[in-house]
Amino acid sequence: MADAILVVAADGRILRVNAAAVQLFGYSREEFADLSVEDLLPRRHRPNHAAQRARFTARPDSRAMGSGLELFAIRKDGVEFNVDISLSRLENGDVLATVYDITRRKRAEESLAAAREFSDSIIATMQESLLVLDADYRVVRANPAFFQTFRVGEEETVGRAFVEMHGGCWDFPEMRRLLVETLPSDHAVDAFEFRHEFPGIGSRYLRLNACRIVGSAEHRKLYLIALEDITARKTLESEQARMIRELERANEELKNFAYVVSHDLKAPLRAIGSLADWIGADQKERLDDEGQEHLRLLIQRVRRMDGLIDGILQYSRVGRVHETAVTVDLNQLVPEVIDSLAPPSHIRIEVAERLPVLRTERTRMLQLFQNLLSNAIRFMDKPEGLIRVDCAELDGSWRFSVKDNGPGIDPRHFERIFQLFQTLNPRDRVESTGVGLSIVKKIAEGLGGRVGVDSTPGQGSAFWFQLPKGSPDYKAASANPNDRRPGRDCRDPEARDGADSSHPCVLDAGNPCRHDGLAETSF
Amino acid sequence: MKVDCKTILLVEDDQVDAMTVKRALKELRVTNPLDHVENGEQALAHLREPGRAKPCIILLDLNMPIMTGIEFLQVAKADPALKRIPVIVLTTSEEQRDVVESFDLGVAGYMRKPVDYREFVDTVRSIDAYWTLSELPV
Repeated sequence: MADAILVVAADGRILRVNAAAVQLFGYSREEFADLSVEDLLPRRHRPNHAAQRARFTARPDSRAMGSGLELFAIRKDGVEFNVDISLSRLENGDVLATVYDITRRKRAEESLAAAREFSDSIIATMQESLLVLDADYRVVRANPAFFQTFRVGEEETVGRAFVEMHGGCWDFPEMRRLLVETLPSDHAVDAFEFRHEFPGIGSRYLRLNACRIVGSAEHRKLYLIALEDITARKTLESEQARMIRELERANEELKNFAYVVSHDLKAPLRAIGSLADWIGADQKERLDDEGQEHLRLLIQRVRRMDGLIDGILQYSRVGRVHETAVTVDLNQLVPEVIDSLAPPSHIRIEVAERLPVLRTERTRMLQLFQNLLSNAIRFMDKPEGLIRVDCAELDGSWRFSVKDNGPGIDPRHFERIFQLFQTLNPRDRVESTGVGLSIVKKIAEGLGGRVGVDSTPGQGSAFWFQLPKGSPDYKAASANPNDRRPGRDCRDPEARDGADSSHPCVLDAGNPCRHDGLAETSF
Repeated sequence: MKVDCKTILLVEDDQVDAMTVKRALKELRVTNPLDHVENGEQALAHLREPGRAKPCIILLDLNMPIMTGIEFLQVAKADPALKRIPVIVLTTSEEQRDVVESFDLGVAGYMRKPVDYREFVDTVRSIDAYWTLSELPV
């Protein structure tokens, strides 16, 4: 839009106007003819204006634009607006006034001020230390967090060269590389972490992000540097790492301990066993019945201790040694286990018609069923024993159960029986090491599953274990390289890396677990 | 054993374990003379003694002081004069690592020492039966 131009007589009458003036003020040319220039001012400015006009007529120094005064005009419809005005005296004494509508500029200035206030309040509130550097790496601005964190004042910061300020403590090779190489190439610095010694606050871990401020002109680049003090986090992290290392070492020692103790206990035990045997054989004539009985008990206890030590070894092997996962068809494995246990003729064992085919460690599956089935057989107290192996799908898991009509277990013992070396019978009555169920528990939990028992005393027990069909826990556990670094088993041919043993129980397609019919296995 | 006159070398540090082997051999009427040394180093010295006839078989414990069974095997199986003598490991260790390492070093057998003496006799009986049938290098 063209500028509005008015020619005003020395007495204030409006002599001529252009089309832009008509449009700006809303008066027609005819109406302008009846107006004085004061009519174009808000009422409050009118009284002084005649005097100002007279002063200008007397001393006509041309009035330039933007001389700082807030000037207002009023339209015919009464709406005020911001204007800037330039005046020049014509030769005949009239005054040529050019009127600029600066409403838009005014609004832009106002919103700019608001935006600045907005960003200032953000910068001031931020916990991160912020620095704005110019192209010569002088500090243009810094926020309160910066001053607080580094315990420095504004006067020793703003306007200073970055690498020289604060006694040159920011001058170190990584920082120079950043300033000289990275920033000028307009690359952002993303999460650069470093540790540095600061005179006021000591050694700190800092995380630095930096970038060129978007919109800063090419000839006047500005860089924003954000610094986060991550000392506390780093300290915590290294503390955590140290604790994990200690735990791993303790765990490792424990594994080796079980191994070493077991082996070193066996040698003297064997000697005791042999010597007792020889005394029994060599001194047969000299020993009376009581002496023979004592030797028999001695040898029996040696065997028992041998069993306990084997139990410790077996228990410590679970989780220490990993086999390659293979396809394990439980429809074959379970009858094999039953066969190997050779159950007495008064015990009948039923197996679900279809058991799943899993991809997992074969030995672990063997141990699970072996331990549960041998317990069910060993403790059977009924003249017609019935044991049933079953499987069901439950919440994305396989739930296997071994149910018997044996003596049953009092619920208050449910927890105890899964602990190492815990038995409910005197060992002389039922020879048992108390390791089996703890191995079942360790295996099932190692595969990301759980174990449990339901029982009615006098009527029987149902031991169950539940294995997830594909357990992420177990994957994570065996992907850990530490699992392959046990004391003595590191070159165990059974031990494979995590990739092989990481699929605990994957069902082969097309072989669902059905338990709608039971088939008796033949013995 | 096949060659009755040849000796059996027992490398074993535990006195009772050594007695066990001797007693079991006697019980099984194995008539070969038995030399007993207490660790790998003594075994090597014994085997390399000039003029001494080589044993027909070596019964080797693994866990011994000064020089273990595995260390003994590493030396013996690299020695052309010793490497053909069959070695049977007799040990407490069930660790797969020991089994694998022993067979890598060319042992002829790996037997676990049972805690029960009667079982031990059975083990030695099997060893004797096998080496009575098997051909041995002369």
